[in-house]
Amino acid sequence: MKNRIWRRALGLAAGLAAALALAAGSLAPQSTQAADDGTFKVGMEAGYAPFNWTQSTSANGAVKIEGSSEWANGYDVQMAKKVAKALGKKVVVVKTSWDGLQPALTSGKIDAIIAGMSPTAERRKAIDFSSTYYASKLTVVVRRDSKYAKATSIKDFNGAKITAQLNTFHYEAINQLKGAIKEPAMNDFPAMRVALESGTIDGYVSEVPEGITAEDANPDLTYLRFDKANGFKTNPEDVDLAIGLRKNDPDKAKINAELAKIPQKTRDRLMNEAVANQPSSDSTSNWLVALLKQYGPMLLRGTGMTLLISLIGTVVGFLIGLLVGIARTTPVPKSKGKRGLRAIGNWLLAVYIEVFRGTPMIVQAAVLYYGAAQAFHLNMDRTAAALLIVSINTGAYISEIIRGGITSVDPGQFEAAHALGMTHLQTMIKVILPQAIRNSLPAVTNEFIVNIKDTSVLSVISVSELFFSAETVAGQNFQFFHTYLVVSAIYLILTFTISRLFRIVEKHMDGPKNYNVMTNQMQVETPKIG
Amino acid sequence: MTDSNETILEVKDLKKAFGDHEVLKDISFSVNRGEVISVIGKSGSGKSTLLRNINLLEEPTDGDILFHGQSILADNFDLRQYRAHVGMVFQSFNLFHNLTVLDNVVVPQETVLKRDAAEAKAHALDLLKQVGMEPFINAKPGQLSGGQQQRVAIARAEAMDPEVLLFDEPTSALDPEMVDDVLNAMTALAHTGLTMIVVTHEMAFAQDVSDRVFFMDEGVIAESGTAEQIFEHPQEARTQEFLRRYLTRA
Ligand SMILES: Nc1ncnc2c1ncn2[C@@H]1O[C@H](COP(=O)(O)OP(=O)(O)OP(=O)(O)O)[C@@H](O)[C@H]1O
Ligand SMILES: [Mg+2]
Repeated sequence: MKNRIWRRALGLAAGLAAALALAAGSLAPQSTQAADDGTFKVGMEAGYAPFNWTQSTSANGAVKIEGSSEWANGYDVQMAKKVAKALGKKVVVVKTSWDGLQPALTSGKIDAIIAGMSPTAERRKAIDFSSTYYASKLTVVVRRDSKYAKATSIKDFNGAKITAQLNTFHYEAINQLKGAIKEPAMNDFPAMRVALESGTIDGYVSEVPEGITAEDANPDLTYLRFDKANGFKTNPEDVDLAIGLRKNDPDKAKINAELAKIPQKTRDRLMNEAVANQPSSDSTSNWLVALLKQYGPMLLRGTGMTLLISLIGTVVGFLIGLLVGIARTTPVPKSKGKRGLRAIGNWLLAVYIEVFRGTPMIVQAAVLYYGAAQAFHLNMDRTAAALLIVSINTGAYISEIIRGGITSVDPGQFEAAHALGMTHLQTMIKVILPQAIRNSLPAVTNEFIVNIKDTSVLSVISVSELFFSAETVAGQNFQFFHTYLVVSAIYLILTFTISRLFRIVEKHMDGPKNYNVMTNQMQVETPKIG
Repeated sequence: MTDSNETILEVKDLKKAFGDHEVLKDISFSVNRGEVISVIGKSGSGKSTLLRNINLLEEPTDGDILFHGQSILADNFDLRQYRAHVGMVFQSFNLFHNLTVLDNVVVPQETVLKRDAAEAKAHALDLLKQVGMEPFINAKPGQLSGGQQQRVAIARAEAMDPEVLLFDEPTSALDPEMVDDVLNAMTALAHTGLTMIVVTHEMAFAQDVSDRVFFMDEGVIAESGTAEQIFEHPQEARTQEFLRRYLTRA
């Protein structure tokens, strides 16, 4: 049901990672049963209203999000509660990014996907689906004041300029609107809403829940309620939503039986409630105030997580880099055996650096988190996995920076230290490293800043850092421009602060620009140092 | 100034080649306690290489070097102790850029000689005072002139209480007006009875301060003798040629 282009790119990376992991662990079974601990773990984005969203209170029957102080609610959450009850289990919501859902399911991190997902043939290859728990309908969203607002049939669109989202079946469905002019497809709903308001297009094809939301968010827009005979003809695979399950899930029959007991009337009521309860933007005040009031705490937590991961990642990465950099620049020993060991060690370190510099962090994260779970049953905490990946990755870059810093220190410094009788270790600690680190500091600052920005790729393993939080917010308020504008400002504030801080550290390391000449005899006898 | 005949250092048939390039060809001499030896010669004749072999910054290709009769090339030789006893002053000073003037002189004493901080500092202040650098103890090397840096480097080498000090053209990188300060410090050191081997282009210093002068040419000591013998009555044609060029230029 959803198909956003940029998510495809993420999906590709995750797929590549999974392929790598499978190749590495082909002996291990590909599906892992989650531990049966009386919980029903449901994966969803918690950011696709009205199906699922994140809220800060338990209002309207929300369910606590695992490992978070936030709550999930929406049509999917209410369905999940019913299904869990039928299974006699406690429902747990695991907030998972769209592309992380399938790997999380097959690796046993969750038991089911209830996330507004359609059971496409493509997806059926990897996972199983329950029967339908919501059947959506296609609609056309138009301006309330336009003549198309009165359309009652798909035949009433002669001459209308219509578009739909790129790479979706929505776009193909425009062919069913007789006489409509098919405009080029667009990337996302916010873009289409803007185009619609400005009159570039007369309408866009969408699904009813999105239409309701669009109407809700913008009183100038409305969606068309076609009756069955006059509406679009659709393929159930496209408009039906089903619960994603692992293949051969023994609970599938029970789940289907429970879904069969929920009549269309109940489903409609649940959807209406979801639409009514979904977080809507406070249109009375200034958008910034409204955004911060409603989502400030969520964005703040995301900021904290981003800062935590990038700070710890950079500090640990720096220590790794320091050790590796030192190891790679030790002098060649005289004995043959030690020389061999050093060569092997250096080769391994070179491999480490090349592998981690040569593969995208997003792939490394997916391999570690999903791949390791699928192939080796290694179930890692998300935040721990994120810290590990960022640290190791940063270590690979910083060890090259430190190595460069060491080799750029004047060889005369080594010679003078050796000529004084200092050992290699003493020379490194007292003389070379302070200079190498000082020389490397601007590059290390860079790494820190890159880390702050690049932790955004960790949304692939659903770490709730700033970008992931922003996605959640934008997915709920549909104010993509405003939300990402605020998030950009936060990123900028973080990176700017970091670069200023490091300038201060550099200045501190350089010491005072001027020194005091000790002319007074007394002062010389008791010099103040340090 | 040779007050004793105790031999500190003995260089025997020393050879050094970089690849096919024979830079030192069979060099032998010995140094007595308290002697000041000046080494002169054309650029590229191997003077620096000779000094760098003596404290093993370069590994000799052949031959031996004895310190108090012990081979410094032997496997069980304590190289670090030896280097602490044989100091070196470089043409490019090589003060530690990250440390203040005072710490440049204190830190090697603490790390190598394991002196406690107070003792090392007192010693450092005393030596810095002798070379006229005590007003600058809080400065970083980059904030000093070349002549000032070199005087600190001399204090740093002295602080290790060396038995022998090697100088590799200590004044070549200096502006002319700084040269005298450094030469004065070296002359003062020579008068304390310290054993010194000085590679230099300062002929006046070589003539006035040294007990012996080596003239090096193409990797060998072409001529050696007292300052008077070398400067007043050079025997070898190449020594005469070198001196004629140098002294007329000066
Ligand atoms: N590490 C090295 N590798 C190869 N050749 C070297 C090396 N060090 C010195 N040489 C060569 O050895 C020769 C002697 O160099 P050295 O520095 O000892 O001369 P010098 O007498 O000190 O000259 P100057 O008065 O210019 O300092 C030169 O030809 C030089 O190129
Ligand atoms: Mg030289």
